[in-house]
Amino acid sequence: MQELLKLVIDENDIAFHPSTGNSYQLNDIAKEIINFLKEGKDKDTIIEEIAREYGKDRKEVYIDVSDFLNKLKIYGLI
Amino acid sequence: MKKYEKPTINRVDFTMASKYGSPLKTQKIRNSIDGVDVHKLTENYGSPLFVFSQKAIEEKYKKLYEAFSSRYPNVKFGWSYKTNYLNAICKIFHNLGSIAEVVSEFEYQKARALGVEGKDIIFNGPYKPKEHLKTAVKEKAKIHIDHLFEINDLEEIADELDIKIPVAIRVNMDTGIYPQWSRFGFNFENGEAYEAVKRIHKEGKLVLTGLHTHIGTFMLDANAYREATLKLMDLKNQIEEDFGYEIEYIDLGGGFASKNRLKGIYQPPEVIVPTADDYANAITNAIYEKNKSDKLPLLYLETGRHLIDEAGYLLTTVVGYKRFPDGRKGYILDAGVNLLYTSTWYNFNIELDKHYEGLNEPSMLNGPLCMNIDVIEENIMLPSLERGSVLTISPVGAYNYTQAMQFIRYKPAAVLIDKNSNVHIIKEEDDLQTVNFKERMPKEL
Repeated sequence: MQELLKLVIDENDIAFHPSTGNSYQLNDIAKEIINFLKEGKDKDTIIEEIAREYGKDRKEVYIDVSDFLNKLKIYGLI
Repeated sequence: MKKYEKPTINRVDFTMASKYGSPLKTQKIRNSIDGVDVHKLTENYGSPLFVFSQKAIEEKYKKLYEAFSSRYPNVKFGWSYKTNYLNAICKIFHNLGSIAEVVSEFEYQKARALGVEGKDIIFNGPYKPKEHLKTAVKEKAKIHIDHLFEINDLEEIADELDIKIPVAIRVNMDTGIYPQWSRFGFNFENGEAYEAVKRIHKEGKLVLTGLHTHIGTFMLDANAYREATLKLMDLKNQIEEDFGYEIEYIDLGGGFASKNRLKGIYQPPEVIVPTADDYANAITNAIYEKNKSDKLPLLYLETGRHLIDEAGYLLTTVVGYKRFPDGRKGYILDAGVNLLYTSTWYNFNIELDKHYEGLNEPSMLNGPLCMNIDVIEENIMLPSLERGSVLTISPVGAYNYTQAMQFIRYKPAAVLIDKNSNVHIIKEEDDLQTVNFKERMPKEL
């Protein structure tokens, strides 16, 4: 989580990680989830909120959010 | 309500940018085939589904035939059954004027069952069981001899039937390509082909009427056909002079490439695949250059892949996805390498059923088999697809259906879209009855 907190996201949806120099391209929902994580929300809460906000099935959102969190782990951001 | 898009994050890799644009955004889309919606096709006939376009077959055939017939007065195509022997596909080629080219008794029987007369069947292949060879002889098929044992078999048949059998020999040769195909027939350069003719002539039970060669597959150099034709014509001239045979036809086999993308070759097929005119020029010019007879030989071609590959598509549906530890997204499809034999050699064209919002990310396409080798595409940039997304894989018209395995899953259906965009089922999906057909259970079990 330490590394995620360092991410700086600009208005073009590019995130920059200052200590590694890596840049990332994100979409809006990815940005939203990263902000939730920075606020300290857990996986279940994030899934509930996204499902409610977008009117999507919670089970479907669970798959997508799990996949996204996996990718953040692979990138060493959480 | 805000519009949902699957969350995506991609590390920016500047080495991926090129003058061709960003691979993060490019999407290849195909929502229909010959005017028929891909989702309608999978809903009505199941997924995965082989789809063949009659329009594409006929256009390709006419283009190739015109390339040859406009240059040479005496040309005939033989539909290569092994490339695709679905009955409806064979029938389309026969209706267009093709005779049949078969390489086994099973294919021979298939052609006969379709109403093709024996005289309109070219019988190739390295193994022709004697009883079936005899049937083919009786029915006046064009027998292409592969080895000396076949000469012996045919001479015995000639005795049994008390006839002289017209035959052709298969000749292999160096045409400057690598690897050289030397497995079939008799070699030209070392004199083996000439010796075979001498052997046939000595017994006098067979009459040589044709010469055949098949120089390779997916030939990207039309000049190799020029070399092959020159050598075959040299052999023809020599045989006619030395033995008094009249060689009525030469057969240049198959091997013309399709617009598929060979693995390891980075130029697009549009750049490297010779045109129909290139192949036709190479072959017909060489015949004119070498012909010494007052009659031009009949020219047979056994083109398969070039004529059917781009007319075939495989529709497959995304059944799930997961994240691999290396970061790639792994899609599970309902079609795998069991249906895509040629995936070993080709990078297929993979098209999406619609535009997907979001960024592309490195992905892998896997089939439904419980086998680690079931990989259709190891690395492909794709947007976030959904469960139920339909992908169109092409070109798969050549060899994939005939070599598709009934393995783990049932073999899928195949449909033909006719020139009026009507869909016809030409092969139903297999079921347990098909799979268990002719199996027997010992009483003791």
